[in-house]
Amino acid sequence: MRQVLKQKRKVAINPMRSCAPIGAIMGTMGVHAGIAIVHGSQGCATYPRHQMARHFREPIEVATTSLTERTTVYGGRENLLAALKNVYLRCNPSMITVISTCLSETIGDDIPGIIQEFGEMHPEVQVPILSVKAPSYIGTHITGLDNFLTEVVKALPEEGEPNNRLNIIPGWVNPGDIRELKAMLRKMGVSPLFLTDYSDPLDGGVYLPKSRHPKGGTTVAELKDSANSLGTIAIQEHVGGKAAEIMEKRYGMDTKVLPMPIGVENTDLFLQAVQEMTGRQVPEELKDERARLLDAIVDAHMFLTGLKVAIFGDPDIVYGLVRFCAELGLEPRYALTSFDSDRWGNELLALAEEMNLDLEILVKSDLHELHKKMKAEPVDILMGTSKGKFISKQEGIPLVRVGFPVEDRFGYHRRAIVGYRGGTYLVDEIVNSYLENGKVSSRDLVSNTLLENERQNG
Amino acid sequence: MLLKCDEVIPERKKHIVRKGEKGCGKRKPCEIACNVPTTPGDMTERGCTYAGCRGVVGGPVKDVVQLTHGPTGCAFYSWGYRPHLADTDFHREYIFVTDLQESDIIFGGEKKLLQSIIEAAEEFPEAKGVFVYNTCAPALIGDDGRDVAKQAMERIGKPVVFFPCEGFRGVSQSQGHHVGNLTIFKELVGTAEPEEPFVYGINLVGEYNIKGDLKHILPLFKELGVEVITTFTGNASIEDLKVMHKAKLNVVHCARSATYIAEMMQEEYGIPYIHVTLWGLENTAKALRKTAEFFGLEREAERIIAREMEYVTPRIEQYRRVLEGKQAFIYQGAPRAWHWVQLMRELGIEVTAVATTFGHSDDYERIFKQVKKGTLVVDNPNALELEEILEEFKPDLFISGNKEKYLAYKLGVPFVNGHTYDSGPYAGFRGMIKFARDIYRAVNSPVWGLIKDKAEPQEA
Repeated sequence: MRQVLKQKRKVAINPMRSCAPIGAIMGTMGVHAGIAIVHGSQGCATYPRHQMARHFREPIEVATTSLTERTTVYGGRENLLAALKNVYLRCNPSMITVISTCLSETIGDDIPGIIQEFGEMHPEVQVPILSVKAPSYIGTHITGLDNFLTEVVKALPEEGEPNNRLNIIPGWVNPGDIRELKAMLRKMGVSPLFLTDYSDPLDGGVYLPKSRHPKGGTTVAELKDSANSLGTIAIQEHVGGKAAEIMEKRYGMDTKVLPMPIGVENTDLFLQAVQEMTGRQVPEELKDERARLLDAIVDAHMFLTGLKVAIFGDPDIVYGLVRFCAELGLEPRYALTSFDSDRWGNELLALAEEMNLDLEILVKSDLHELHKKMKAEPVDILMGTSKGKFISKQEGIPLVRVGFPVEDRFGYHRRAIVGYRGGTYLVDEIVNSYLENGKVSSRDLVSNTLLENERQNG
Repeated sequence: MLLKCDEVIPERKKHIVRKGEKGCGKRKPCEIACNVPTTPGDMTERGCTYAGCRGVVGGPVKDVVQLTHGPTGCAFYSWGYRPHLADTDFHREYIFVTDLQESDIIFGGEKKLLQSIIEAAEEFPEAKGVFVYNTCAPALIGDDGRDVAKQAMERIGKPVVFFPCEGFRGVSQSQGHHVGNLTIFKELVGTAEPEEPFVYGINLVGEYNIKGDLKHILPLFKELGVEVITTFTGNASIEDLKVMHKAKLNVVHCARSATYIAEMMQEEYGIPYIHVTLWGLENTAKALRKTAEFFGLEREAERIIAREMEYVTPRIEQYRRVLEGKQAFIYQGAPRAWHWVQLMRELGIEVTAVATTFGHSDDYERIFKQVKKGTLVVDNPNALELEEILEEFKPDLFISGNKEKYLAYKLGVPFVNGHTYDSGPYAGFRGMIKFARDIYRAVNSPVWGLIKDKAEPQEA
C-alpha cells in the first residue's frame, strides 16, 4: 500500500545510520590539509576513523581532545586549547575543524568561545578554525556533514572578482561520484569548485616519498573564492541544501538544490541547471553517454521489468534510486531511511504518486523493520549499503551495494552512480547481481535470454 | 627519547624508550610512562571504555541482545566489524540501541531504556538475556541504568546485565575490559550450578575466537584430557558465563583484558590461574605443558606437542627461509606485542620496534624482558609518530590494525593485520602456518618493488 510509516518501536534494531562527527570529519577531509579535532571521548574519533578506513581503504587521520572523567567534571577547555596548539604546531594544517560530540555538548563546553580564546592567545595562528556541532543525539552521520557545510559557507567565502566557476555541493557521495561530476562538467567546459572535494584524499594514490597531507581536496583559498562563482548547485537536499540557501542569501548567487543526478531524468535536470547557470551547451559527448544509458536500459528491460526492489540508505540517495529504478521498470516496493524527516516521506510519496508506484515509505526506521516487511511480502532485489548483507543472505536475494558504508567488497568508493555513465554502471550491476545471486533458482543467460535452472528449486 | 614530530609535546619523551638507553635493561629496569591520559590533539589509536567493554569483552557473547544505551553512533560502529566468531551469528548480525534523541537528553532516557529492553526481548524471544552498555550521554544526564536493568529483569524474566562503560571513563579501552570483567563476575559468575561435576575443568579466559582461533585451540585441550567449561568470551553463551566457577583452573590468554576476572575468581572461589600464550610453536607447547602439569597430564601433553611440531615445523620452514633476517615493528593493543616476539624469532624475524595502545607497566616489563638491546618501545603512539618510526626505522614488516594499515601501505611498508588477521586464524600450532603464510605474502609481494622502482612512468 502506498503510504508513509514512521517507526513506533523505541528500540532501534540495525539502524542504518551512524553519528554526526563522522560527517564533519568527511567534509574536513575534502579540504586540502584540513584537520579535524573531535572534542570528546577518544572513541568519538577512533570509531569513525575505523569505519571510514573500512569503506575507503585509506589512512584517516583525526585528532581527539581525549576527554576523560576529570575533564567531564571541570570542562574540556584545557584539553581543547592544548589540542589546537598540538595540531597547529605538528600538522601544518590549512584549516582546523573542531567537532563537538555528545560528551562536550552535554557538559556544555563553549567551543566557539574557546576557539576565540585560542586565537587571542596565539595571534600568529592565521588558519581558519571552524566549530561544528555534532552531538550524536541530533540527526545522523549526514547531519554532521550538513552542519560542517553550513559552517564553511558562513565562515569562509569572501566577495571579490568573479571567478567564472560553478560551486557544486556534492553532499555525501563517493569519490567516484565526485570524479564523474567533474568529468561531466569538464565536457561542458565548466570549471567546478567543490564544497568540499574529498575525492582524492579519500581515494588517493601511492606517492613515494609520502607527503604529509594527502593530495587534492578543495583549498582554503578556493573556499574563500566560492562567493564569486557563477552559481551553486547542491545535489543533496539533506546534505548541503542549507549551505546552498546561505550562498543564495548572503552572496545573491544563483542557487539550485536538485535531486541527486541518478538515472536519466535527474541527470538531465542537473545538466539543464548547469546550462542555465553557465550558458554552456551540453556537448555531443554527454549526449552520447545519455544515448548509451538508454541503450543499456533497453537491453536490460526484459530482465528487470516487474522485479520488486527494496531500497535503503541516506535520504537523497534513496530518492534518486527510487526514480531510477522506476525508470528501469523495476517496482520499488519499500524505500527506507533511518533519517527522521517527514518532509522526505512526503516527497517520496509524491514521487510514488507521480510514477504510480506501490511504495511503502519507511521514515526513521531500521533494517530489522524492513526485514520483517520483506518476510511478509518479499522482494527480488535489495539495494543499499553492505549492512544489508545479513538480510540478503537470509532471504537469498541479491544485494546491490550502493551508499556508505560498503565494507565487505572492494572499490565501491571508486565507482560512480551519478550521471549517465553512473546510471549505465548501475543497470549492469543490478542485472548481474540478479543473475548471480538467488536461492530459488540459479539463473543464467543463454542466447541473451534468461534461463532459470529449476533443478535448484526446493 | 623524543621523536622529531614530538618536539612541541615533550611529555611524549617518557613514552618512547630504546632498550639499552642509559643502561636500562642491564643495570636497571627500563621505565616507560604508560596508562595515562593521551596528549590532547594527538591522533591516538586508542578507543574508549565503551569500545573495550562492548567491542572486546561483552560483544562476543552470542545469545544475548547487545543493547547500547545511548545515541545511535556508538552502536553502529560496533556492528559486526570484529570477527569474534561463534557457532551462531546473532551477536554479529544485530545491534540494538535506545537511540537517544535531544529530548531524551533533556528529560532523561530511563523510560526509553526500559521500553527498549522489553521490546528487544519481545522481538527476539530466543535471546537468553540482555547486555546493556552505557555511553557518555546517559551517564552525564544521570540515568540510573542499573536500576532500570533490575526492573527490566523482573519484566522479561531473563538476566539483564548493565555495564557502566561510558566512553569518558579511564584513559583507554583498557578500562572497558575491566568494567566488562567486573560486571560479568558480579552479575553472572556463580549464578547457576550445573549438575555434572567437571573433574578436569578449565576456563579459557581472555580468548575471543577471532576468525575462529578456537578451532586450533580447543582440540589440543580436549586431547590433553581437560574439559573447557567456558571460553571467556569467544563463542560463549550466557549460561557458560554462569558456571565458570566450576573450573579447577583458569587458563588466561589475553592477560590485559581478562586477568581481572581470573583474579576475582581466585579470591572468591580459590580457583588458581595461569598465564599462557597460544600463538607460536614454543608458546603453545609451553601453554599445554603448564596446563598439563596442573592436572598431572604431562605424558599426554608431550605426545600432542611432538606430533604437532612434526606436522607444523616443515610447513613453516618454506616461509622461514625467505623471512630469515627480516625486522618487524609490532604495534598491538597490549599483550600481542609481547606474545609475538618469540613467535617472530621462530620465523627468523627480529622485532626491532614494539608499541602498545593501552599497555600497563606489567605489559612493558614483559616486552623489555623479551626484546633485544636497541629495540624501540613506544606507549600509545600517535599517527605522526607511527609515520616517523616507519620511515626512519624502515621495518620489513609492520603488524598492527585496520586503521594503521593504510598508513603503512602509503609508506610502502608490508603489513599484516594482527587484530583481526589477514586470513587466519593464527592461534595454536596449526594457526602458525597461516600466520607465517600471511607474513610471507605481505613481505614477498611484488607490489613493493613496483611502487618503489616504478612509481613514475618510465621515460621512453
